[in-house]
Amino acid sequence: MTRVLGWLAALGLLAGLAAGFGYAPREAVQGNVQRIMYLHVPSVLTAYLAFGLVLLGSIAYLATRRPGWDRLAGSAGEIGVLFTGLTIVSGSIWGKPTWGTWWTWDARLTSTAVLFLAYVGYLLLRSLIDDPDARGRYAAVVGILGAVNIPIVHFSVKWWRALHQPSTILGPEPSPIDPAIGLALFINWVAFTLLFAYFLSRRMEIARLEEQT
Amino acid sequence: MPTNWAYVFAAYGIAAIVLLGYWRHLARRARALAARPAAKARVA
Repeated sequence: MTRVLGWLAALGLLAGLAAGFGYAPREAVQGNVQRIMYLHVPSVLTAYLAFGLVLLGSIAYLATRRPGWDRLAGSAGEIGVLFTGLTIVSGSIWGKPTWGTWWTWDARLTSTAVLFLAYVGYLLLRSLIDDPDARGRYAAVVGILGAVNIPIVHFSVKWWRALHQPSTILGPEPSPIDPAIGLALFINWVAFTLLFAYFLSRRMEIARLEEQT
Repeated sequence: MPTNWAYVFAAYGIAAIVLLGYWRHLARRARALAARPAAKARVA
């Protein structure tokens, strides 16, 4: 199953590259730099998914004390940090030619940085506790508290005056995106979700083996 | 309008390095863990 997911993810990423660089047109205002969005947007959506699973695994672990839920939370947290890092770096690279700066303390950027640091702290906490049950309990509390930041990140562009543009994918209004650009985004989002599922499957298997040794 | 390809390639290049690096990290860790019982069995 994991191998199949890996191949599907690889094919999806190739299709995503073809869609982003071949099928999707050059954006009229931003030019080619908009193509970074085929990396940036799927990355943040994948990070949301990962941290949502940390929340689910954390709540379920506190309720049941089954180690599998803690493995899910810990593995998803690690991959979530990876994709949040990619979100921040790709956004920063896009920001330089578009906004004229690599970084600004805008509400969306700042809340995303806080999200990243919160889950780096979550992983650090996990690495510091040897006892599996204590690690699961303490990490679950941090995992649940960290998830509070997800809606703050997403709605920050609505709640505060921000340089970052409002949501165009998960917003309440119909998306104003050109259909070809929307399709390229969708293909890349599917590819990143498959890649996440592949990484998660492998990471959870590693966590299971680590518990046995 | 500037082409800005350098920014695009930088973003995708960094992403490729990070994702491939994580994939290799997982593969190495899985191999190391899979080798442990075999090593123990050889010692026994």
